[in-house]
Amino acid sequence: MSVKIDPETAVMDLPRRDARDKLTGRTRYMVDMAGSDALRAVIVRAKVASAKIVRLDVSAAARMRGVRAIATAADAPELHGIGIQDQPLFARDRIRYPGEPICAIAADTLEQARAAADAVLLELEDLPACFSMADALAPDAPILHPDWKNYECIVDGVARAGNIAWEAKVLRGDVDAAFARPDVTIVESCFRVGRQSHMPFEPRGALASYEDGRYHIITSTQVPWTVRAVTAKVLGVHSSLVRVTVPPVGGAFGLKFDCSIEPMAAILSRKTGRSVSLVNSREEETTTCLCRENADIWIRSAITPEGTIAGREGVVLMDAGAYGGEQVFLSTMTAHTLGASYRLGAARFSTRVIYTNTPPNGAFRSCNGAYNAFALERHTDEICQKIGMDPMAFRKKNVLRDQDLGSTGQVFEGDVLGPMLERMEALRASTGTQEHRAAGRLYGRATTVGTWNIFVGPSTATVNLNADGSATLITASVEIGSGSITQGVPQIVAANLGIHPSKVIVKGADTDAAGYDMGTGGGRTVVSMGSAATAACAVVRKRLLETASELLQTKPENLVLRDGRVEIEGRPGSGTAIETVIARAEQTQGPISGSGSFTAPGTAKAMPGCAAGHFFDAMDLPVFVVHEGEVAVDPETGEVEVLAYRVVQDVGRAINPRAVRGQIQGAVIQGIGYGLHEQITIGPSGAIEQTGFETYHIPLAQDAVKVDIDLFEGAPSCGPLGTKGVAEVAIMNGGATMACAIANATGKKVQQLPLVASRVLGLVEGFEEMLEHPHISRKWSDNILK
Amino acid sequence: MDVQFFVNGEERTFGGDQRTPLLDVLRGDFRLTGTKSVCRGGFCGACTVLIDGEPVPSCQRPVGLLEGAEITTIEGMAPVGELNLVQQAFLDHDVVQCGMCFPGMVITLTHFLGSNPMPGRAEIKEALAGNMCRCTGYERIVDAVLSICPTEQAEDQPPVPEVSER
Repeated sequence: MSVKIDPETAVMDLPRRDARDKLTGRTRYMVDMAGSDALRAVIVRAKVASAKIVRLDVSAAARMRGVRAIATAADAPELHGIGIQDQPLFARDRIRYPGEPICAIAADTLEQARAAADAVLLELEDLPACFSMADALAPDAPILHPDWKNYECIVDGVARAGNIAWEAKVLRGDVDAAFARPDVTIVESCFRVGRQSHMPFEPRGALASYEDGRYHIITSTQVPWTVRAVTAKVLGVHSSLVRVTVPPVGGAFGLKFDCSIEPMAAILSRKTGRSVSLVNSREEETTTCLCRENADIWIRSAITPEGTIAGREGVVLMDAGAYGGEQVFLSTMTAHTLGASYRLGAARFSTRVIYTNTPPNGAFRSCNGAYNAFALERHTDEICQKIGMDPMAFRKKNVLRDQDLGSTGQVFEGDVLGPMLERMEALRASTGTQEHRAAGRLYGRATTVGTWNIFVGPSTATVNLNADGSATLITASVEIGSGSITQGVPQIVAANLGIHPSKVIVKGADTDAAGYDMGTGGGRTVVSMGSAATAACAVVRKRLLETASELLQTKPENLVLRDGRVEIEGRPGSGTAIETVIARAEQTQGPISGSGSFTAPGTAKAMPGCAAGHFFDAMDLPVFVVHEGEVAVDPETGEVEVLAYRVVQDVGRAINPRAVRGQIQGAVIQGIGYGLHEQITIGPSGAIEQTGFETYHIPLAQDAVKVDIDLFEGAPSCGPLGTKGVAEVAIMNGGATMACAIANATGKKVQQLPLVASRVLGLVEGFEEMLEHPHISRKWSDNILK
Repeated sequence: MDVQFFVNGEERTFGGDQRTPLLDVLRGDFRLTGTKSVCRGGFCGACTVLIDGEPVPSCQRPVGLLEGAEITTIEGMAPVGELNLVQQAFLDHDVVQCGMCFPGMVITLTHFLGSNPMPGRAEIKEALAGNMCRCTGYERIVDAVLSICPTEQAEDQPPVPEVSER
């Protein structure tokens, strides 16, 4: 049956259904749920970076007043990890980072649990440690995971060795020949970025109970199914014994894309027979944050006299911290970020994930894309400076266009970045520029481009039609603030069923009710869950129209669903209310319900042999941004004011344009925070030195700037109704744009983020040290494992 | 020794440790969880309440100092089922994202508009120096506030805040 859905019927500025309760304080987040009946738990954490555990004695702690149970490594025998199963829930024989969990204690009150924590006896033997990637790569470096060869990996045959947890490689064409050409100009750059901390207002934690022989975990997560799987894995129980439900999440930004401390609460709930609340304190949350990783990047390019890129090579070192985590997976994204955006003659990239004795890193909105865009765009501006070409002209000449090859040989479809650059020029012409407001300070403007991928992957949804003409949407997607499951997906369902989105009830995520979903993040929910919901709606539509066909004596293909009615096409008012059809179906065949599934269509292909160690060789759904910023730099203090910011974003189709703009505004300010304000430092003992909002500076209202936004619609997309994910990629070029604009303002070589005032002052005054990355060889063969 | 004070107009008594931050008394003992515990250091503003009409981060106020005080939490900013003008503006402008900062934002800005009925953009941003938001990038919050401020051309419009119909 042909599906006649006018995408325009989905487009509206639908308000958020959860706003009223959030504004009146009535929304119950995970942190609000533990009442007086729940025990309170704390985690005892390692204070050192690297040590052998000689003895752990919790007997004295267990005897303390109010203590109900203690969970240790003995309760969680198995290792877990996204790409490499290298991480225990509690440190077992060895401590690998400051803050690593040793045990968890449940007591009647938080004070009692904390008092008991002080009574835990831990006997240690110091081990040598690596606090930087350069340390970890040194020939005589201590190996963090002596057992690395025996770890289970999600992909076999990947290059790994000692502290190199994972290596992903790209190789397309003859790079050596490109660099050997006599006519090319060679430009080489080094970059370094620090970590970025998510600082969600709601920390990670869980409220767990043990009911009818099963664990029930209420948690603040983006990935209920991952929490279910990891909890079962580390506890050594069957996954079906774990139920995960998720109330509204108080900020996530990628931090909650992994299981964290939920299994600890689960163990304690089983041991005590009580509900157990375990929530990170702000200090724990900050000092053990799974940050956007710090990274060292070396990149060089061979540029032809015509201003094209004959060859490009790069090495990216990603700091995993003590365990592989997300970085293993994200190593794939060098190819699709640092290796993307521009047309390359030949290309090769080596991405190495390095173990260090520091807190593990994780996923953060646009992940390594945010710093690879910084490196790529600063490198691009250095190229332009060296060859004397206008940066905008260079970008227009070299950005990926229709049928161009990406670094892994993927063929890009559609001319997107080029027209977006033109739209940026038009946007600037309409807004004007703000140079006059620099008022004696150094003024700089920069335009940058970026490419990211929408992580399409498995999702499933069920749609039940109710007698009152409403529909209930059952999914494991989570409301993390982005609106994708409170606005986007219900709008898609409503458009498919010809009802208003307010008639689409959204069931909160519950792994006992909804089928598998990869998680809410990576810009995938509207695309993947939207597609699964569309497939579910197709089943529902078919049943609706078949029943209506009998009622109206009209062929199903001549019927349309509109405004809560089934109408004969071309004859408004001729049909009947959807409720009548639903009632009829109930009587004749039973209630109308449909389920649907989706996963990556796999249409995007790389060239064989171009990529190794990747989780995917080609991007299923590329998405593009063009950002432009104007800054004023105070040469006396190094302080930077953002005078103006403009975004042209590839959104596919914006089905809720107002909400899309809200996501872009929020993401850009987070990106400016990454570029200018947010600094995580690792202290001499390997610990994160920032402990909360006092020492880690997220942007304040006065740091923000109103972003001028142009939504670029119509680029190819496999998303339902032509949509793409919008909230993830919007952060990507914040750091890049700040760096390029400050370089233009100061005339200095900007190599590092964040550009806090002291660093900018150092650049202006000439005392900022220039990076050379001696730990990254200029010889390709040294940067890959044999 | 018990401390007695008023919360949203109701007389309440607290008999525990007088050093307990008001935040924990509200959330833990009275289960008024609209007041959010985020930084516990007085920086983020998510736990802001009105104490005798003034916005204060409740994490910074030991309950023992509050004998006789009148405290208004987010739950008391409008009758059940209704919104005040600031809340309504945030709803109308689709400003909310994760929502954790908004109880504090509503209290700070409702109070601010009471004494500054015609603020400019920069003044509103200054008023938010003690209220952080990680999601929204602030500007739409400011837009929403400006939408309910009478402009100089229309000075005789009713002052804010008032409770609106839903």
